Amino acid sequence: MDNELIMNTELHPPPEIAAHFEQPSCSSPMLNWPLMNSNLSQYSPPQDCFTWEKSTEQQQKQSIFDSALSSLVSSPTPSNSNFSGGVGGGDGFVIRELIGKLGNVGNSSATPMSSPPPMMNRTTPLTEFSGDPGFAERAARFSCFGSQSFNGRTNSSLPVNNNGKIVNSGKLTRVASTPALNGFVSPMVPAGKFSRKRKSMTKGKSKENPLPTASPAPSFTKTAEEKGGKRRRREDEKEDNTKAPEPPKDYIHVRARRGQATDSHSLAERVRREKIGERMKLLEDLVPGCNKVTGKALMLDEIINYVQSLQRQVEFLSMKLSSVNDTRLDFNVDALVSKDVMIPSSSNRLHEAGLQAESLSHHSYNNNSQLHTNVSSSNMMLQSPVNSLETSTLASSFTHLPTLTQFTDSISQYQMFSQEDLQSIVGMGVAHNPNHESQNMKIEL
Amino acid sequence: MASAYNPIYTDVPEKDVFALHFLQTLSNLRTQNSFSSPDNKTSDRVKKIKKAAYVSMARAAGGTNRLWSRSLLHQAAKRNNKNVRFLRRKRRVTWLMRRRSNRGDPIEDVAAERLRNLVPGGGGMETSKLMEETAHYIKCLSMQVKVMQCLVDGLSPK
Repeated sequence: MDNELIMNTELHPPPEIAAHFEQPSCSSPMLNWPLMNSNLSQYSPPQDCFTWEKSTEQQQKQSIFDSALSSLVSSPTPSNSNFSGGVGGGDGFVIRELIGKLGNVGNSSATPMSSPPPMMNRTTPLTEFSGDPGFAERAARFSCFGSQSFNGRTNSSLPVNNNGKIVNSGKLTRVASTPALNGFVSPMVPAGKFSRKRKSMTKGKSKENPLPTASPAPSFTKTAEEKGGKRRRREDEKEDNTKAPEPPKDYIHVRARRGQATDSHSLAERVRREKIGERMKLLEDLVPGCNKVTGKALMLDEIINYVQSLQRQVEFLSMKLSSVNDTRLDFNVDALVSKDVMIPSSSNRLHEAGLQAESLSHHSYNNNSQLHTNVSSSNMMLQSPVNSLETSTLASSFTHLPTLTQFTDSISQYQMFSQEDLQSIVGMGVAHNPNHESQNMKIEL
Repeated sequence: MASAYNPIYTDVPEKDVFALHFLQTLSNLRTQNSFSSPDNKTSDRVKKIKKAAYVSMARAAGGTNRLWSRSLLHQAAKRNNKNVRFLRRKRRVTWLMRRRSNRGDPIEDVAAERLRNLVPGGGGMETSKLMEETAHYIKCLSMQVKVMQCLVDGLSPK
């Protein structure tokens, strides 16, 4: 190849080419070139170059290049085109050589003529560049080395049809030709998801089923708090990815996260898991002593223990209640029955309850003067709701609730009642209850 | 904490409401002849009180609005038609099939199963719904416990 340049070109190309060969190239012929350049400052006869080439021939590719050179030399190419190609090729020569080297590595069994096509790419009319399947990939991989120069060369020197050939050969070549070459930064990124999202590759390359990149049906896009840094382009593509297999039964929008699978099942799984996580946090606040424990399983165990303990407490307390008192409980219940009736929202019931309360209070007054003072205190509490009943508004009916709280919390004040007193009250309570029990039942429900 | 599209509401009424309902059901118990007779066994009475406590709690917590309370009342109504009257609601179609498709973590599922056994009505719920109900249930239970504790303290002889 060096010989080819020397043969076909005039004086000045070599220095340029030498300058271009400062690029990082690992091939030995390239390294030899500066040496050669110094040696060949004057144009040595071709035979010397040939011999020199043969002398430096160490690797297989040298022989292949020789064959390529010979073919080039033999073919009657106009010097101009070759010159331009040569000058042009000088820039991209490093790359092409590397590509060629890769090609040799790739298809070792290939005939020598197959590998030259990459090399001879720059001279179109010569090469029958049928799409070398490996070439696209190799070109893609190595175009980053001299991307600018290569692009310049491809744009300027390579004719359109050659470019077209490149395109036809493989979809990756489109990437190689674009100056952006975003995709080659992305090998670092998890390939499973990100590789699909290269700007140039969206149209062509699709590992999944072809996506209708059109209308956004209810897809899965989540709220902003869930995402890492994502670009808009990716989001749209992901929407398309997820919506295709997913029937729009669920209108919760979920956006897949960076570096994660985007099929509908895993997304739904993730949504579900996050929901559960939310509720776990909620439960954490309720259950005391859950802060130290982390992890779902332990937390759930804690919650289960807590629920069980609460249920046991209820059972224990009910046992206590049943054993401690019957009569006392009766009294309290009876005194409060009228209040109970006030809670429901029906206004007509309130009137009845009011009547009830009044009748109760009357009876208490009538029957037992000893209890008068004591009962009156309770009746005072009753009368305040009675007053509220006059207005018969729901809001006012709830004003008696604080009094009920006082009653329940300060139940101890009624312990002064003796058993006989309580029984008498119970007696009058029972007299009233059967009348209003049915009403109570209805009201409860 | 709740996300914007689905706020989890687990409000629970005040203690008074619980107390009210509990005393109400206790009064209903009183009127039963079988209850007040002294030859009644303690265990039966305890059971009745316990049931009364649960039923009242279910009513106080929101009646049939909550899943667990609804199932509780339903169970109580089935067992004993005298005390508890439970009006049937119009059943809404639930995503029961969702539960079948719950292939969660095995650890999670085991614990969820235990929870389902504890919380009434947990059998037909998805795990996330189950946890909501559990939260509400815990709140109501704690409220009920407080009320009963107050009662016991107030009525126990000094």
